[in-house]
Amino acid sequence: MTSSFKWAVTRIILTTIYLFAGWLLFTGSTAPRSLLMGAGFSFLIALTTFKLFIDDDEAARRTLLPRVHWLLFYAILVFYKVYVASFQTAFAVLWGKYYPRVVHFRTRLNSDIARSVIAGSITLTPGTITLELTEDHLVVHWLNASTTHSRFAGNIIKGSFEKLLKRVWV
Amino acid sequence: MSWAAVIFFILGVFFALTGHLGLLKAPDVYTRLQTSSTCSTTSVLSILIACMLLSGISPFTGKVAAITIFFIITNPVATHIIARYAWEEGIVPWRRHQ
Repeated sequence: MTSSFKWAVTRIILTTIYLFAGWLLFTGSTAPRSLLMGAGFSFLIALTTFKLFIDDDEAARRTLLPRVHWLLFYAILVFYKVYVASFQTAFAVLWGKYYPRVVHFRTRLNSDIARSVIAGSITLTPGTITLELTEDHLVVHWLNASTTHSRFAGNIIKGSFEKLLKRVWV
Repeated sequence: MSWAAVIFFILGVFFALTGHLGLLKAPDVYTRLQTSSTCSTTSVLSILIACMLLSGISPFTGKVAAITIFFIITNPVATHIIARYAWEEGIVPWRRHQ
């Protein structure tokens, strides 16, 4: 039993678990027949797609199993920030006061999933859109730019997102 | 509970209006994306939250929550794809001259 075989089996099991959670969420029934069918199809799909779902070199334990309580806290923070920024954007639109700039900065997150989540959060927050994400370098369009300095802009936009995401993933 | 739902419905209408006003007023593709897509995200989010508040704790709420999660994951990706395409095409962002 080689280590690559073990890693493949682990990935298949994890993919099955994620798919089965999705099945439960959408069917919402606990009838034995439905559960059995969900588990069977989750396993079949996991067998063919585990290479896409979990990359070969994403081997850190934390990237596969996020800390759920911090993720919940993160979701609440994102909701709060979305509403605050929405009001700012709405009034900027109504009064026609916006000073858009493009800013560049780096992120300290290491795993792919954490980086894509931070890019998604930046886009979801009104007032900022991620234009490009290559490795750890983010290009962001900012509606009301107060600075174009890379480090300060990064601190304002990423804010507490990055610190919290470091606790959820890596 | 229903009063909170009413507040969220009003927020949803407000953000939808400003979002689409921004679509008409904004000068270039990036600012249009900012105002329309992201303000509209908040409006849809508010309406879904109001629906959850109205229906209370029930299987329907769970389904709306699943839709909300799916929406939150897919919508920024769609916005990002449009913005990235514009950026890779070399469209220069509009700047206000002070």
